[in-house]
Amino acid sequence: MRVYLDNAASTKMDKRVIDAMIPFFLEKYAVPSSQFTHTYGLEVKDAVDEARASFVERIGGKHPEEIIFTSGGTEANNLAVKGVAYANMDKGKHLITTQVEHNSVLNSFRRLEEEGFEVSYLPVNENGIVDMDVLTRCIKKETALISVQYGNHETGTVQDIREIAKLSKEKGILFHTDAAIAWPYLPIDAYNWGIDLITLSPHKFYGPKGIGILFVKKGTKIKKVLDGGFNEFNLRPGTENTPAIIGAKKAAEIFSKEDVDRILLLKKRLIRGIETTIKHVEYNGSKEHSLPHIANLTFKYIEGEAISLRLDFEGIAVITGSACYSKNLQASYILLAMGKNHEQAHGSIRFSLSKYNTEEEIDYTIQKTGEVVSDLRKLSPLGREDEE
Amino acid sequence: MYPEIVREHFTHPKNVGKIKNPTVTGSYSMPNLAKAIFYFLIEGGVVKDIKYQIAGCPFAIAVCSILSEYAKGKNVKELKNIKLETLEQFFEIPEEKEECINLSLKAFLDGVKNA
Repeated sequence: MRVYLDNAASTKMDKRVIDAMIPFFLEKYAVPSSQFTHTYGLEVKDAVDEARASFVERIGGKHPEEIIFTSGGTEANNLAVKGVAYANMDKGKHLITTQVEHNSVLNSFRRLEEEGFEVSYLPVNENGIVDMDVLTRCIKKETALISVQYGNHETGTVQDIREIAKLSKEKGILFHTDAAIAWPYLPIDAYNWGIDLITLSPHKFYGPKGIGILFVKKGTKIKKVLDGGFNEFNLRPGTENTPAIIGAKKAAEIFSKEDVDRILLLKKRLIRGIETTIKHVEYNGSKEHSLPHIANLTFKYIEGEAISLRLDFEGIAVITGSACYSKNLQASYILLAMGKNHEQAHGSIRFSLSKYNTEEEIDYTIQKTGEVVSDLRKLSPLGREDEE
Repeated sequence: MYPEIVREHFTHPKNVGKIKNPTVTGSYSMPNLAKAIFYFLIEGGVVKDIKYQIAGCPFAIAVCSILSEYAKGKNVKELKNIKLETLEQFFEIPEEKEECINLSLKAFLDGVKNA
């Protein structure tokens, strides 16, 4: 059996998304900015405008021009963080984010630090959640931007972005949320919640790769970070990836709440199955405030890359936060920020589900995880006191 | 990414476990938990039996198994000269895995140095 449980990395595209995209490769291949010179361009422009209107409606925006299409979530995050920082230097050069953001957010802030900005990286508690009091204390009159992710890509922990947006609004600070892994699994309501910028990533919800979305509330001061033409309301130059834009729209349209409910049941089945059949397992993150499709567990006394490779031999795809597995040989900065020690990060495994997973696959995963963990623990010199 | 010999020894590690009354033992730990312990039974300067326990990644596990097979029947003096490069006769060493491989090698050498 083959079981793909790395859906937080990327999902299988829905066939209906591919079908919607194909005409934009074969027939409607003109660029939308050619609208004033030929009908080919106008047709595509109309379709792209429809996609913009569709996304605006789904995330609680008001104006189609608030949707900026980029090459992916990474570029959207770069544009949000750097674009807002550069455009609001008259207000101040202090910025706030968290220690558990995606690298595209964290490294954008680090770049700004090199350029003379001051950045506060908020700590999180043992469940990965930002403390509102700490955030409030970090705010200065020079703070120009607060950027806090909606959900965490590694642990699934969800932040209270409504409260953070409210606080940002009260203090007159722009608020960006990276919702790349969270939306549309969780709802978002830009205007009603008071969010100025939102990052979305369609390949996380059965859409195509190579397309990201940045919602920029009308009137938000932001500067483009890539130089080129005047595309995307002069915020993001480059030829629009029209097939992917259309695919993203289709993916959002067909995304179903029923699928999310079913995924959540599968996730609960997986966690319960593992926790009841395998000893010495720790859940990483908040069970209560959690994305429906991500679970992160530490299997004590053994190493994560060994677990994931053995699971791969059994046809199961997962990832680990172990240092051995990472390219920089550092354990997961997210788990460490949550106060987990290196030992806990060492044996951590992320299971991330999709609508394509079945109960049979989950039961197979529980069984094989049990066998693999048991095998590896037989090799381990650690934690054997209670077994001997 | 994983050479065939590494996959094989990782999947079916040989000589796993402890020796009840070992002649010498050697161990090495890393701050991240990873730990290896080797148990040697030595008679007349020759390794008669060798076992190990390991909490580590696939390369660390495989290297324990490969070293245990390599050491059996060999003179301890010869084993003291083993270096990281010695393992290149078995597989090409990826730079990013040197630390993991060294975990097992250092535990092994910690044992043979006292033999």
